[in-house]
Amino acid sequence: MHKSLQTASASSEGHPAAKRAQQHARWRLPVWLSWFLGRLAYGLLTVWVISLIVFVATLVLPSDPARIILGPDAPLESVQTLQHQLGLDQPKLVQYVHWLAGFIQGNWGVSLDSQLAVTEVLWPRFANTLALLAGVVAFVLPLALVLGVALALKRDSRFDQAVLSALILFKAVPGFLLGIGLVLLFSMPGVNLFPAVAILDPELSIFAQWQYLVLPVLTLGLAALPYLTRLVRSSMIEALDSDYVGAARLRGIPERRIVWLHTLPNALVPAVQGLALTLRTLVGGALLAEVIFSYPGMGVTLHAAIQMRDLPLIQAIVLLTTVSVVGINLLADLLTVLLTPKLRTAPRKVMIQRNTRGIQPGGVADWRGLPDGSANSA
Amino acid sequence: MKHDLSRRKFLGNGLALGGSLILGGSLLSGCNNSGSNTDSNAAGAKAAGSANAEPVHGGRLRVGIIDGDQSGNLDAHKPIGGGIIRGWALYSKFWEWDEHVGTRLALAEFAEPNADASAWTIRIQPGLEFHHGKTIDADDLLFSILRLTDPNLASPYAGLVGAIDRDALRKLDDRTIEIRFKQGRSFFPLDETLISFGSIVPVDYDPITNPVGAGPYKLKKFIPGQRSLYTRFENYFKAGKPYLDELEIIEFKDQVSRVAALRAGQIDLASWVQAEHSALLKADERLRLYASPTTSFTGFNLNLAKPPLQDVRVRQALRLLTDREELVQRALNGFGRVANDLYSPHDPTFNHDIPQRAHDVDQARSLLRQAGFQDNLQLELTTTPGAGANAALVYAQQAKKAGVEIKVTQVDGSVFNGPQRENWLVSPASTPARGFLATALHNDAPDAIYNRTNFHDKRFDELYYQALAQPALEPRKALIHEAQRIQHERGGLVIWGYSDILDAASNRVGGLVPEQTTFASWRFDNLWLKHA
Repeated sequence: MHKSLQTASASSEGHPAAKRAQQHARWRLPVWLSWFLGRLAYGLLTVWVISLIVFVATLVLPSDPARIILGPDAPLESVQTLQHQLGLDQPKLVQYVHWLAGFIQGNWGVSLDSQLAVTEVLWPRFANTLALLAGVVAFVLPLALVLGVALALKRDSRFDQAVLSALILFKAVPGFLLGIGLVLLFSMPGVNLFPAVAILDPELSIFAQWQYLVLPVLTLGLAALPYLTRLVRSSMIEALDSDYVGAARLRGIPERRIVWLHTLPNALVPAVQGLALTLRTLVGGALLAEVIFSYPGMGVTLHAAIQMRDLPLIQAIVLLTTVSVVGINLLADLLTVLLTPKLRTAPRKVMIQRNTRGIQPGGVADWRGLPDGSANSA
Repeated sequence: MKHDLSRRKFLGNGLALGGSLILGGSLLSGCNNSGSNTDSNAAGAKAAGSANAEPVHGGRLRVGIIDGDQSGNLDAHKPIGGGIIRGWALYSKFWEWDEHVGTRLALAEFAEPNADASAWTIRIQPGLEFHHGKTIDADDLLFSILRLTDPNLASPYAGLVGAIDRDALRKLDDRTIEIRFKQGRSFFPLDETLISFGSIVPVDYDPITNPVGAGPYKLKKFIPGQRSLYTRFENYFKAGKPYLDELEIIEFKDQVSRVAALRAGQIDLASWVQAEHSALLKADERLRLYASPTTSFTGFNLNLAKPPLQDVRVRQALRLLTDREELVQRALNGFGRVANDLYSPHDPTFNHDIPQRAHDVDQARSLLRQAGFQDNLQLELTTTPGAGANAALVYAQQAKKAGVEIKVTQVDGSVFNGPQRENWLVSPASTPARGFLATALHNDAPDAIYNRTNFHDKRFDELYYQALAQPALEPRKALIHEAQRIQHERGGLVIWGYSDILDAASNRVGGLVPEQTTFASWRFDNLWLKHA
């Protein structure tokens, strides 16, 4: 990172193109950086547009936070006093500009409901959601890969059919049923393997309370598993049928090596995009698991904030979610670029010239530590 | 392992308490219909309560509450969401509720109105302390009342004590204050209205930076929307109490997950569980279900500001077509009792001479016909989802039999209480158990906090004001009896039932006794944990 920054500043000082190319070769400056920055700027624009949409949407909602906070028995004078104290009696545009100015300066405002700084409410919840996501990835990704590859290798066998049917069953069962089923299976009297409800102790690190994560992760993971496994399976089948695999087999390369080192990386692209899709849905809050297991994540927080018309909190959550989605997309696209064989195997010079979108495959093989170089040269 | 332990404990306790009797009682009550169901349940549990072994000190009690979507706060005078329940741990008041929805002295050693209830004199016990060690004096008392009634605090409950004249508050000596009312008015139900939110806090109180009171537990940690942790207050005004070392209040968003947590032993007590879960909870031998037969009413508001509800015949028809027994069975799952369109039956002033209104569809039809409706009355009932909606749907079916079409519209809570709330024609009504005058202040009194029915009756208002100025029971009884006759004849409330409050707790929890109030499970100074 440091190196690329250095190079970037050097090149911006107007060195000749040739020298720049040399430096590229030397430092392997990721040419995709400009593409990346473009995408980043685009992402920021998305964030702003979404903040505007959220604001307009909250205007359309009936009722206001003051009434909801004070409840049905509040006299009108109390409601009006609170509206004034919360700044809700100001013109809507002023409220928005106020909020935006604060947001840009890093002041995300104060939650109307709890009167705590939004960040104070949000970060622990966000961390919980991230922990949940990490758990889901750690559970689903290896399982989907192994299962997908196994099914592809044994395609159309009894095993394949049985597992596919089981996966369809998991997909077809509504998530909440899955969750409740797991609770009945693992945490009712007599079994008590895992806690039924994820009431995290905020004093402790989430990793010290991993047992609370088990059932939520299983629920979300089992719901996502069929989709990913079938993606891996089908792209694996496609890759196994391709000419280069045939050629590799003819050369007598061991099957194990063909499958795991030559075929699988090529079959990963759909899985990466599929995983990104799953994560994009979950990062805004896995509402389902959060409700069933009382897991304090982003989903229930957003739901509560909307019910309370707690605008600063809604804005912060939606924007954080947007940023996360943009980030996940960016990461998935980057991985896709790095995994795409066409980009990887093309001659570097041609790639750089051809690379109008700033995609650069250089250094991929080294970075990934995969022996593609040998395969190419072979 | 856990399972074995708790079963042994359960059996042990059962033997010690003559548990077979209790078991028999609850089994029998399971077969009976609702009316006797709750009574025998209460009786059984009461027997258990009195026969319970001596309370022991120590342990951490984990209480699961449902807080809705609000994060809530700790504000003594403006409790939001679970703030009301947390307040039971943190704060004490002049009075406390007794088990029959009356008031008894708590911090106060003397609290009496004068002859026409235009002034109250209140003196607290000597030597009382707050959590941070400060001795409670009259300045704290004045500060607390001024804070509660401060317009800038915008307390939703300020309306209850809106009669207090802030400028006339007076300190008589170090422990004594005098409260007077605006325009020299009388206000007899001060105890019942100040008791809920009139927590006594020190002059340096701040709900966020210094949330101290004189309640049984001191705050250790509060995470809004998630949980709060308290430790025992050694200088609590009741000697020997509280029993627990620590109290933890954990907030849940979902009834099902809370029941799962209770059954899995992650919490010890679930406050206010759903009647739908009663069978499941009863079947679990490690748990006990406590049914408090409260006098909280449940019914419907008829908005008298809207046609055709101005017509008393239409209102009476809507009351007559109500099959109260069916509503209790279906909307309350049998956990309740039939009501007679009147509230506060526990109040000594309640008029028991008014006959119970019968279910009479024919008379309802004839009244509607007199009012000009030939099977063509259409009404809209606006409700939030949940219990209110269930009752509304049952009621709509009943109305159909009398030729009244009730359209049930469900809106979320924020819309229901939003700016359009004045427009609802028919809406669910309920008020927690309170005395007559205090309940009226929540509903149809002339200076009610929010009069959803828009009921205004000259004679009723006169009687109400006279009752406010009448501390003596017998004359007040006469006034309220007449006021209730008016409500029964032409009021705007269809009160079909009194609902039970259900609490569920592990067998380890002691000191939980069903009562007529709604807060059996919030008396944290009584609760204790059985060890071993």
